[in-house]
Amino acid sequence: MNIPRLQHLLAMAVLWSLAHSTYAQTEAPSTPATTDASLPAPAAVTRPTRPLPAERNWRFGIGVGYGMRTNPLVQSDDIPVLVDLDIAWFGKRWFFDNFDLGFQLADTRLFTANAVARVNSDRVFFGKTNIRYVNFTLAADGNKVPITRPAPPPGRPDNGFASADQPQELKVPDRDYAIEMGLEMLFGGEWGQATLRGFHDVSQTHEGFEISADYSYRWTLGRFSVSPSVGLAFKSDDLSNYYWGVNPKEAGLTLQPYEAKGGVDWEAGLRTSYYLTKSVRLAISADYERLHDSVASSPIVAEDHVLGYFAGAAWQF
Amino acid sequence: MRTRLTLLAVTWLAVRTATAAEPPPVRLIVKPLLCVVDKAAESCNVKFDIRWKSVLPGEYCLNDEAVPAPLRCWPRTLSGELQHQREVSEDFIFWLSPPAGTERAAEVKVEVLRVGSDDRRRERRTRHVWDVL
Repeated sequence: MNIPRLQHLLAMAVLWSLAHSTYAQTEAPSTPATTDASLPAPAAVTRPTRPLPAERNWRFGIGVGYGMRTNPLVQSDDIPVLVDLDIAWFGKRWFFDNFDLGFQLADTRLFTANAVARVNSDRVFFGKTNIRYVNFTLAADGNKVPITRPAPPPGRPDNGFASADQPQELKVPDRDYAIEMGLEMLFGGEWGQATLRGFHDVSQTHEGFEISADYSYRWTLGRFSVSPSVGLAFKSDDLSNYYWGVNPKEAGLTLQPYEAKGGVDWEAGLRTSYYLTKSVRLAISADYERLHDSVASSPIVAEDHVLGYFAGAAWQF
Repeated sequence: MRTRLTLLAVTWLAVRTATAAEPPPVRLIVKPLLCVVDKAAESCNVKFDIRWKSVLPGEYCLNDEAVPAPLRCWPRTLSGELQHQREVSEDFIFWLSPPAGTERAAEVKVEVLRVGSDDRRRERRTRHVWDVL
């Protein structure tokens, strides 16, 4: 991972000073419990008025169950999700939300604005790739045509194919994690929750940016809660090409050079919960993300989408 | 010595099992025990189904933590039931006590779970690959 440039550090400093000048903290409303109970005699109807307890700074949860997120890369394994940790801390301005580090710049009746540093999660797919060996032979038209086969088991001699050429390694190129910084605007009301985000690489990894928007709405009926969501994300040329392109140095007989262009991914998801107790719930969730065409056409991409699902029990401590 | 120890252990286990199997003198059953409130709502309106059973006949009063006077008192009997509707906005306790006493023969806690937060940061969704909940 590269060291951030000086101008990025300056940008962070400007953002910091801006935060100090524009921040407007609003106190969380303390809703008194003033509901009355209609009681038969001999009870007198009086209810104590108590403010709601303050929310804890820490949020720690764990989900245990079975889930999977598909890996769109060629020669890759899907990502199993058996345990999902939820670790977050919310201070007056600073917060840490599952590896997103944020600072609240403004909190008004209409929106909340945060400066956030995060790790780009596209890199995760590149941690679950395999190597395959491909043999080439000459076709009638003179071009080399790959004869594919799985890699031999470890310790076993590779003597299955008769080919004049040496087997070529088909390997998805390595990619680095990128640290991104940006702004997000959170909106919320009876109509649901919406988010606008803009992030730029500050680690000189892909040097691109992403702009995204999403919307979700939660229905709660008794102990059951369901929350559908939709979202769009524009990924720049640099970001798309770094992760999903094949640069000339990486190209060979098994991988052709490819330049991925920017484009818009879209996603839709559904999260459901059934609360057993105050801290335990059964959870089922699924989401689908469609990669934009230029990424989907890359020689290192086998599927044009990412599908994720999970079912299990979740504890909130 | 070994036989004595074995005998002691068996006796202790037998006593412990008998004690554990002994039903509580009064059992209070309340349904539902959980109220889930979304942030758009301040409370939920719940119709509680309350039942109690006693091993020995007794006089009991049902109390609600939010109300100073008992909801209902029963004459000397083995069981009782009541349907009680009320708004719930915070955790509270139903309990049974003798009409003239303060001790609690049985109690049950009703909990309120608030889903959502006024702090929008707590509602934000991360877009990490591993985040599925």
